[in-house]
Amino acid sequence: MIQLGNSARGALSRERDVREAYAAHAGELYGFAVRSLGDSGLAEEAVQETFLRAWRAGDRFDPKIGSLRTWLFAILRNVVIDLGRARAARPRVAEGGIEPSVEPLDEALLAWQVEEAMRRIGEDHRRVLVETYYRGRPYAEVAEELGVPEGTVKSRVYYGLRALRVVLEEMGYED
Amino acid sequence: MKTRNECREWRELLGAHALGQLEGEERVGLEAHLEGCLECRAELAALEPVVGMLPHADPARFGPAPQPPPELGRRVAATIEEEKRRVVRRRRRAFGGLALGGAAAAIAAAVLAIFVFQGGSEDPTRHVKFASLPNGISIYATLEPHAYGTEIRMYVKGVPSGTLCRVTLRGPNGATYSAGTFRYRWGDDSNAVLSSALDLSRTRAIVVRAGNRTFVGRT
Repeated sequence: MIQLGNSARGALSRERDVREAYAAHAGELYGFAVRSLGDSGLAEEAVQETFLRAWRAGDRFDPKIGSLRTWLFAILRNVVIDLGRARAARPRVAEGGIEPSVEPLDEALLAWQVEEAMRRIGEDHRRVLVETYYRGRPYAEVAEELGVPEGTVKSRVYYGLRALRVVLEEMGYED
Repeated sequence: MKTRNECREWRELLGAHALGQLEGEERVGLEAHLEGCLECRAELAALEPVVGMLPHADPARFGPAPQPPPELGRRVAATIEEEKRRVVRRRRRAFGGLALGGAAAAIAAAVLAIFVFQGGSEDPTRHVKFASLPNGISIYATLEPHAYGTEIRMYVKGVPSGTLCRVTLRGPNGATYSAGTFRYRWGDDSNAVLSSALDLSRTRAIVVRAGNRTFVGRT
């Protein structure tokens, strides 16, 4: 079960709350919107629409039910669906080399979470996970390339996975 | 009896094991250790959900995340401000309509009429005209009174992209009050939202200096 966030901040009934919510979450919302829509202009539109809908429905936000982050992501998810439908009606070419994701939206959200967590862990840890897991290269080869013992590559894989877990928990992941 | 160091050595292999990449003696040895070590088994169990999530990610996307442009925050604030204004207008219209429709009850109508009269079916926002603009340049400004002074919404089009625009309000005796700066970007159709300490009732003109050109709008 994936849940996003646990940083409840209260209802979005005041402009100050919106500013705080924007400062805390706009970066992540935008990152996910770009990944899903593959278009920075549409992603900006999605984030803007998300905060507008959040403002309109501010009274309905209850921090006891879920975090503000979860709520904003749920709104963004709907916005992305709406924008995706609108785009399907008038096809556009992806800009800036960013390809829109083609997987279902919940899969895209899960993927984005792991990618965001990968960005947040240390370079050494990310590197060994990319080389050994994603590229499937032998430990001995990676160790030689990095100029470290093979055991170090293995321990970096372990500490890398631990670091990922910590970051995902910070992002609201629960088993 | 296991020692802490022994556990640590095996534990550092748990990542490779969880990824299914441990072979030979190391694998056999670790599995034997896990049989007898509750802590290491718990640690392995904690890694497994993370390992289960890895296939969903695309390593080509591990690079720096795209950042929202700095003006997006301003646009979000302006959108919400506009929404607030729209809601107020709608409420005022509903309230005005109620006053007209409620004429049958003379006393109630009288009370409502006072509210409508005082409460402002009149829009307090002032729209500024900029006279004699060069061809191709459009400038609009709306000014709205606040307790702190005046809120200014600027819309500029037709000047080179990136032009720095400096806005000041001019008071009754020629005193000027800064309202801040913004930059015009090509393709950006949003309003710049600025503010000044000068009360709207005392504002006589708005001066926009766009690059090296100056435009004056009378209120």
